[in-house]
Amino acid sequence: MARGKTKVGTTQRLVGYGILALLGLIAVWLLVQQSRFNPAVIVAMRAPQLQGRPQVVSGRALTATAALIPEVSGFTFLAPMESYGPENLSDKIDGKAELYLPAGFKEMSCRSFGLGASGGAHVEVFLYDMGLPQNAYAVFSGQRRPGSPGISLTANAYATANALFFTKGRFYVEIVADRASEALQSFLEAYAAALLANLPSEGETKDGAALFPKEGLALDSVRLSATDAFGLEGLNNMLTGEYSLKGGKATAFVTQRDTPEQAQAEARRYLDFLAANGYQKIETPGLPGDIPVLGLDNSFEMVFVQGRTLAGVHDASSLEAALELAAKLETALRGSREPAHR
Amino acid sequence: MNQPTDEKRIHTGELNRRDFLKRVGYASAVALAAGGLGLAFYDWKGPAASEGQKALTGLGDYTPRALASGGAKMAIIRGTDRAAMFAQGVKALGGMESFIQKGDRVLLKVNAAFATPASLGATTHPEVLAAVAGLCFKAGAAQVLVTDNPINNPDSCFEITGLAGAARATGARVIAPRAALFSPVSLPGGKLIQNWPVMAGVFQGVTKVIVVSPVKDHQRAGASMTLKNFYGFLGGRRNVFHQDINGIITELALLLKPTLCVLDGTVSMMTNGPTGGSLSDLKDTGTMVVSTDPVAADAVGVELLGRSLADVPYILMAQAAGAGQADYRLLNPVLLDTRA
Repeated sequence: MARGKTKVGTTQRLVGYGILALLGLIAVWLLVQQSRFNPAVIVAMRAPQLQGRPQVVSGRALTATAALIPEVSGFTFLAPMESYGPENLSDKIDGKAELYLPAGFKEMSCRSFGLGASGGAHVEVFLYDMGLPQNAYAVFSGQRRPGSPGISLTANAYATANALFFTKGRFYVEIVADRASEALQSFLEAYAAALLANLPSEGETKDGAALFPKEGLALDSVRLSATDAFGLEGLNNMLTGEYSLKGGKATAFVTQRDTPEQAQAEARRYLDFLAANGYQKIETPGLPGDIPVLGLDNSFEMVFVQGRTLAGVHDASSLEAALELAAKLETALRGSREPAHR
Repeated sequence: MNQPTDEKRIHTGELNRRDFLKRVGYASAVALAAGGLGLAFYDWKGPAASEGQKALTGLGDYTPRALASGGAKMAIIRGTDRAAMFAQGVKALGGMESFIQKGDRVLLKVNAAFATPASLGATTHPEVLAAVAGLCFKAGAAQVLVTDNPINNPDSCFEITGLAGAARATGARVIAPRAALFSPVSLPGGKLIQNWPVMAGVFQGVTKVIVVSPVKDHQRAGASMTLKNFYGFLGGRRNVFHQDINGIITELALLLKPTLCVLDGTVSMMTNGPTGGSLSDLKDTGTMVVSTDPVAADAVGVELLGRSLADVPYILMAQAAGAGQADYRLLNPVLLDTRA
């Protein structure tokens, strides 16, 4: 049976086109909605911003450290430069930001490298601008790995099996590899030399250990607490060093204030703090001056002032150790005119 | 009455019965195909119960219901081989089948916080991830998802830590955070987690949750282990919680009840956490904890770090809030040694 083309009226044609257009619109709408689908749509009211991401900060002030991280032959970039300021440092180092922020942190840049010559080692370089040399020393000393040898890279530098840590002026630097080898260490030192060449020459922080009497001192235990030393709010810029003595273990401390009156007031404040925490005065006849000794259980504290310098002994394990260290410290400070940190 | 011929009907535009039935047949076929397609895509379970525009109140309770009563809830395993340690530990708790059933969709929460190699110990070790994911699949899991909202760039973190490679090797899938996965959550009675963005979207369809964490020192919290690992579910400017780190970890402990916790103290970061950096920050502590109780697991971890519960206040706070048992010895842990 022969079949011809069915005639379609104008109205039918228009209705047909209209339906097709409507179906097309529905399809487009479905695609758009699908692309916006939120698995948690039932409760999502908004799409909150994610935790801050590492980012290249474009502001001129925050790229100052980035410009100082060098390109060194053999080190190939694995990732873009990252820079952080006080507002987002924790996006990079999480809770450790709490160590840097109170110590005057300004900005940090870091970059990852591959080191093909050392079996494809992964190396990351961190350059912190801490604002002042003593701030850089505070974060350097606060993280010092016990037993790690000092190196001659700068006045404050040491190496561990896989990393270098040092300060120069207001900068604190970490160069960290994911493995340990002697060959790798020489590459890290080469990179450190290139980086140091980029850093401006500024006043260096004196070796804090120079203030303390040498005998019995663990050199790698010397720390500078930028804030709230011994848990006392506002007791800032405190140098400490740990001792092993005949009478036991003890910690020496030294800090400096602008005037002798301020040093005296700070000493009283610390003594009040100790008393409020249960320490009691211990009578120790024969001590020069009126240096107070306080004790709680098997922990002993001594505090004294020399001019603008507040010093003493913290957490001595015996009265004998406290007295021995206090005597040595007082003598050492008399021979030292100006403590390095204030 | 005479019927019009086909030719006349064509010319007049009328349909005969055959054409009509054909067209109905075609239309029905199209409708059935469209309906079938829709049916294939239809989500029978549908989304979880909605509370309208209100925030979620938690991430769920995934505690194992089938766990034999009186059975061990914690194993402490000594050794150096992470895979062997996990295998022996979970066997002592009744086997992986006690926790993972056929068809389960398992979410593994790892610590991928930093884009640093596994050798630096700042993140979950890929070997333990591979061990856990492998046994999940062996027990019949249909899918294993691996997630975290890292501190650093997520793609870099998962790749450089080796976690992405371990996931690929076992057939697990990494879920990196994206905005669509975050929803507001308010913990009932919580002071900090109120209408806060939490990565709730990754729990869509999930039936079991295993938290796999390293043992680390933490500058702010004292220690970063299982409970601190929950921090990685938070979005937004979560660093504000550092001001009350113990409070936020306690609240996080109430947000989620995991199926199982694996605390890997084979190597622990003893100092300079949570980032570390030097191999000298690490110590071979040769211990893994497999536990249904995250608080108890962390209590063991504290000892590996050479500290006491007083040094890590959130553990006792989490116990007081009802999240678990800080005196892990009360759980009568099974003690094992893979080197024996």
